[in-house]
Amino acid sequence: MTDDLPPNPALLPAGLLDLLPPEAETEASAVEALMTVFAAHGYQRVKPPLLEFEDSLLAGSGIAVADQTFRLMDPDSQRMMGLRADTTPQVARIAATRLGRVPRPLRLSYAGQCLRVRGTQLAPERQVAQAGIELIGHDSPEADAETVLVAAEALAAVGLTRVSFDLTLPMLVPTLLDDAGITGPNRVSLARALDRKDAAAVTRHGGALAPVLTELLLAAGPADRALAALAAAKLPALAGILAERVAATVAAIRAASPDLRLTVDPVEFRGFRYETGVSVTVYAPGRHEELGRGGRYICGDQASGTSEPATGLTLYPDAILRVAPARQARPRIFVSFGTDRGMLAALQSDGFATVAALAAVSDETAEANRLGCSHILRAGNAALINTEG
Amino acid sequence: MTAPFPASAFAPDATTPLILALPKGRILSECGPLLARAGIVPSPDYADEDSRRLRFPTENPLLDVVRVRPFDVATFVAFGAAHIGICGADVLMEFDYPEVYAPLDLGIGRCRVSVAEPVETAGMDDSSRWSQIRVASKYPNIARRHYASRGIHAEVVHLNGAMELAPGLGLCRVIVDLVQTGSTLKANGLVETEVIAPVTSRLIVNRTALKTQPEAVGAWIAKFRAALEAA
Repeated sequence: MTDDLPPNPALLPAGLLDLLPPEAETEASAVEALMTVFAAHGYQRVKPPLLEFEDSLLAGSGIAVADQTFRLMDPDSQRMMGLRADTTPQVARIAATRLGRVPRPLRLSYAGQCLRVRGTQLAPERQVAQAGIELIGHDSPEADAETVLVAAEALAAVGLTRVSFDLTLPMLVPTLLDDAGITGPNRVSLARALDRKDAAAVTRHGGALAPVLTELLLAAGPADRALAALAAAKLPALAGILAERVAATVAAIRAASPDLRLTVDPVEFRGFRYETGVSVTVYAPGRHEELGRGGRYICGDQASGTSEPATGLTLYPDAILRVAPARQARPRIFVSFGTDRGMLAALQSDGFATVAALAAVSDETAEANRLGCSHILRAGNAALINTEG
Repeated sequence: MTAPFPASAFAPDATTPLILALPKGRILSECGPLLARAGIVPSPDYADEDSRRLRFPTENPLLDVVRVRPFDVATFVAFGAAHIGICGADVLMEFDYPEVYAPLDLGIGRCRVSVAEPVETAGMDDSSRWSQIRVASKYPNIARRHYASRGIHAEVVHLNGAMELAPGLGLCRVIVDLVQTGSTLKANGLVETEVIAPVTSRLIVNRTALKTQPEAVGAWIAKFRAALEAA
């Protein structure tokens, strides 16, 4: 047997990390700022548990994250439990069951951590914070627009004003392919070509649909151009209804917030694959990660007739903090041993974090410096420490 | 926490140039005429393989060119380090990055990804009876997927070059490699037994870049499309 070095205690499993000062505090206050905006718009907070039975966690829209869910057996009930990989299915469950009798539309919000079995190369984190809203029991462009507008306001509250919302119709492509009777391997190839925006392959596999699909593929981008292409394509039946819906949603968002940056990608159908109407992804220009994601889904159980329309939007505080302007940390002030508690309270209410000496020290300035304080209490006044000295 | 990136790496304003990643080697010379027709004029030493520079300005202040290994073009674009790139379909198949869009087939760098094996063993037994096979390749994912689709588990020996030596030296039974004319295979006593996929070079773009800078990135796609139609 070889003598391996003992593992370094600082090493964490892949995709997990410690949040240290000051980031941990920044994160908490950012989540609070987001939740304050949600609450101001009437979204009431719920807190589902981290673990629940697999059957309910992965039912309905939860099926989309089934392969990303950690599972363990409950020694008590001997049933399988899942650790949430996404909060929306839990909130949908609450809305359909315990809050089933509350009048609609029901507005709920939540903040918490999720765990995923594996990260991706681009987003390696396996623990992801979520803060989001769900608007349940209303199927309208106005409801779709409301979640976008509230999310935009929440992002602005943490200093992110230059964001863009990409609207997509995940059901549009499947509907068009169904209508055109495209099935089998050709459908797989065509779906893949559309997903990768490979115009050559779309032409090759698209058959009669190819001209329309290529046109829509090229239309992805600023909302006006994409909507014009959608309108010009004169899509049949259900696809046409979806196209009208995204146009109405854009109009509703524009009416409330004309300057919000909107893009539309008609043939995109990625994401947590449970969206049934207009879906949304939130981006910050120049950054290569998503700040949030959401869309329309069916809440509740269709088989038992308790299903209802719902829409929601989840923001990712970790990603938001990487983009948001740095927040001013609370200044730390060193106070001598035995300082009166009233004094401490006064300093704290002025916004200082007080660092009280636990014993008398001879050189207080040096001690304050050593403990990372920017200020020191001298003769009852907060004095800035000259860090050069 | 994760070590922070310098904020300038993400500076999202209209004066930051977009980055076009080009593959070193064979395809680079074939790119020349296409770039010219698309109105991209990089500083002259970009095609000089001896030049130590890796990043080159172009006559357009809003576009810079970087020159990287062909396999790395897809990675640069997937991570958003480059916004646009030119890359073989073989590399896209191998990595299968969901963050990469491949909107245009540029029709250059024509070749194929194929299976080859020694002349002596080719066709000597019935591959449908195999449970597993040892393959040498620089495309481990393509090789694994190809054999998995016919119910064979591929044990892949990942090599970066001189694949043609491997079967003769007992490293593997077959190789999965890029074939252009087949002359290297022939010189090493191998025969191409199966074409997995034809390969041409593609124009690729980063998904998020297209979503967040649709005007700028879309304009370059349009220029390349026009350049292809003009050819």
